[in-house]
Amino acid sequence: MFNKNLCFYFFLLLLPVVSISQDCKLTVSGVVKDLSTDKPIIFANVYLKESQKGVYTDSLGFFKFESMCEGDLHVNISHIGCEVQEIFFSLTKDTNVIVFLDHNGHLLNEFKVEGEEDKATTQESQSINSKTIGENSDKSLANMLEGISGVSVIKNGSGIAKPVVHGLYGTRITILNNGVAQSGQQWGVDHSPEIDPLVANKITVVKGVGALEYQGSSLGSVILVEPNKIDNEPHLHGEARYSFETNGLGNGINLELQQYGKLFAWRVVGTLKKSGDNHTPDYYLTNTGNQEANIALQLEKKWNKKWSSALYFSSFNADLGVLRGSHIGNLTDLEEAFERKVPFYTEDNFSYSINSPYQKVNHHLLKFQTKYIINEKQWLDFTYAGQYNLRKEFDVRRSGRSEIPALSLKQISNFIEGKYRNYLPKNWDLNIGFQINHVDNTNLPETGILPLIPDYLGFETGFYGLITKKMEKTTFEFGGRYDFENRKVAAISTEVPRYIYRTENDYHNLSALFGVTHEFQKNWKVAYNIGYASRNPEVNELYSNGLHQGVSGIEEGDPTLNKETSIKNTLSIKGNIKEKLFVEGMFYNQNIKDYIYLNPQDEIRLTIRGAFPVFKYQQTNVRLTGFDIATTYQASQRFTITAKYCYLKGMDQTNDLPLIFMPSNAIFAEFDYELPKLGTFQNVGFTVNGNYVFEQKNLFASQDFVAPPEAYYLIGLKLSAEKQLKKLKLNLYLRAENLLNTTYRDYLNRQRYFADDLGFNLVAGVNIKF
Amino acid sequence: MMKKFNKIVISGLVILSVLASCKKEKDDPIIPNEEEVITTLNYTLTPTGGGTAIVLSFQDLDGDGGSAPTITGGALDSNTTYTGVLELLNEIESPAEDITLEVSAEGDEHQFFFEPSATDVTIAYTDMDANGDPIGITSTLTTNSTNTGTLKITLRHEPAKSATGVSSGDITNAGGETDIEVTFNLDVQ
Repeated sequence: MFNKNLCFYFFLLLLPVVSISQDCKLTVSGVVKDLSTDKPIIFANVYLKESQKGVYTDSLGFFKFESMCEGDLHVNISHIGCEVQEIFFSLTKDTNVIVFLDHNGHLLNEFKVEGEEDKATTQESQSINSKTIGENSDKSLANMLEGISGVSVIKNGSGIAKPVVHGLYGTRITILNNGVAQSGQQWGVDHSPEIDPLVANKITVVKGVGALEYQGSSLGSVILVEPNKIDNEPHLHGEARYSFETNGLGNGINLELQQYGKLFAWRVVGTLKKSGDNHTPDYYLTNTGNQEANIALQLEKKWNKKWSSALYFSSFNADLGVLRGSHIGNLTDLEEAFERKVPFYTEDNFSYSINSPYQKVNHHLLKFQTKYIINEKQWLDFTYAGQYNLRKEFDVRRSGRSEIPALSLKQISNFIEGKYRNYLPKNWDLNIGFQINHVDNTNLPETGILPLIPDYLGFETGFYGLITKKMEKTTFEFGGRYDFENRKVAAISTEVPRYIYRTENDYHNLSALFGVTHEFQKNWKVAYNIGYASRNPEVNELYSNGLHQGVSGIEEGDPTLNKETSIKNTLSIKGNIKEKLFVEGMFYNQNIKDYIYLNPQDEIRLTIRGAFPVFKYQQTNVRLTGFDIATTYQASQRFTITAKYCYLKGMDQTNDLPLIFMPSNAIFAEFDYELPKLGTFQNVGFTVNGNYVFEQKNLFASQDFVAPPEAYYLIGLKLSAEKQLKKLKLNLYLRAENLLNTTYRDYLNRQRYFADDLGFNLVAGVNIKF
Repeated sequence: MMKKFNKIVISGLVILSVLASCKKEKDDPIIPNEEEVITTLNYTLTPTGGGTAIVLSFQDLDGDGGSAPTITGGALDSNTTYTGVLELLNEIESPAEDITLEVSAEGDEHQFFFEPSATDVTIAYTDMDANGDPIGITSTLTTNSTNTGTLKITLRHEPAKSATGVSSGDITNAGGETDIEVTFNLDVQ
């Protein structure tokens, strides 16, 4: 079976140099090469676990072990920026191996995956690999992706974080957890995706124009959280990770075990995390602790050469504290909070305890997939997935009601998908498929509060077709998709006496995309994509009615809203100059017609809690324009400089107003110094980085309660090293964030109304691979 | 090969039937028991020397949305002392629930604040919580010269009662969350 790792893949060419086996006189030799340039990689570390011998590749990328005995052999190959990989084979004769590492991939966050299942696409994507995931194991999914250019994060404190791609978030982007669209309460700005990133070996952001092969409401971008297929390796292997962070005294452990057994292949991943109150440079952020307990189980079975199945179960369980001082009663309180230097209820001491307000989230996914390879050119794939999402939010309430959730939502979804692929002659590649999804969303009546969104049943069905034509230097992609959605809503009236009313909506949506890539001058690739997509109004946009306490406003839905339709264009270029200077740039323009947003009204509504501003969900035509540029200069084998710049401007064209809640522009620079060997350590890396975030100036004062925060810059440091301890491979890292303990607030952090952002943080971690 | 293909088709059909058995209609949602809502505040002022009580009242029977609240101000006599009693009701429930009891039970976590715009009106607390700090469910209101203005009544949940001035009724340093904030017209004749 093919090893399908990210940064890496290999060919085993078992060349029969000597066909008669001789005891302990065998040779294992090979070459390590760069996947994208085919050039040798020097100073890659090659280690034999059985004999505990290690060598480095020479200037031709060559390595050799002599006087080897017959038997099982585990070979580790590691290089800076790539995860440690292992090849296993039984040595019976002299063996020559060619190993390909994707060294350039780590320079541009672009990891090639080779293998039968990878569909050629013209859309640009960037990924983080399992090494990056492992060295950031303290972070949530969204915070992990923050390093990818064009991706920003909406936060509510530090534990609750939501990814933003090219200015869009929530239900406007689709997050796929192991191929299944995450089904939860993504409409909430303070609802982070319920996924443990440590179950993944690779997380990819497709900064695209449409996601036609996936179900969901994406208006362009998609985030893929993907575990690897289980390595074809009969022994028990795994990885243990531990991390500690000083800010919040957070501890995290993660254990992954896997084995390609005789009956089936299995992998289990478990995570436990706990952290307490975070700290700004000046005070504790009381009640910002969180805790998580997650597990994922993956089973794979190859019935025969043509037929294979996989079963996947994951469970995510988190308690996320919300800053106590951000829980307010009315506009007077909010205005008072702006004036304060230190938020109300700030304690002088650190605590791990999580009290109201907090969120309790559970998400379980069960997926069964089976694939049938008809012949070399064709396959069929069938998936069933069930998801169970439970979200409870606790507020500070009277008479012991803080123990009762103020919001309690249960969502059950059932999903089936069928896909067919056919490589047609002359490099035409056809992908077609269908999806059916059923969502049952229920408010649990335990709250004693009128629900924010109504109960509903959603039934979605869709089918798609994608055709790719590959020519020598040019690739074309065409695609279309049709979706039907039926939503039945059962809501409680806002009038008294309360009564129940029902509505039903049908939506028919068409999507289409076209893309072309062209390679020129050997090292350069240019891509253009255009996509048409639409998103149906979410239940909160249609039916919410009432006070949104976190932002002190009354939000009113509008049941007559139409769907949003979007046309997005992207133009990207990437390549390198003499394999020294790597450049990647993407320009995008997205026009969204009938974009749904919360529009502040002139009305101030009087309630018994005081006066509140009224916001209504309304529609307008908007335009998002921006670009992401990333360059890496490899000054020498050891020294690399990276610089990134992201720019985005969002405008409401109908009213000629800036769009609120758009990411600030930012510049990021990083200096890496890498040593293949330092004492008994290998792949030693030393990194300094700086991130400058501009003030969001594209906003009028009347559009927010307070002006956007000032520009800020943060400096970070990182040290990482690997060490081989007999059969264990250690990866040690030390990361300092906000090194200068700068006081700052970020525009996309909703906690900015009440408190400063995080101060200095030192993260220390160890990952042990065995 | 066909056999296996059939297996896939059959398992597909099984799952389709699972999906088909999904609910077609949403059950009626259970209307929550909104026992926490405060719809009504009554501030009853009885002249200490006897006479007709005056009730300042704020009533919003359908909660935050829907129709506007009814606010009733009052006319007071000058140079008079009144005993004031606050009453909070949830009139969505039937019979109406007396929320004042919840506030007094958690007296140490609640405090009313009275802010008259007419300087000639003074209000003093006459009750206290377990720690000896005021709550404000009962009070005395004293008028002096004739005057017109407003009276703002605020209920804070979890205020800092020990902060400067809070126990004498100054809201400035109180903090906490506002549960109630209503303003009445006052006419001191």
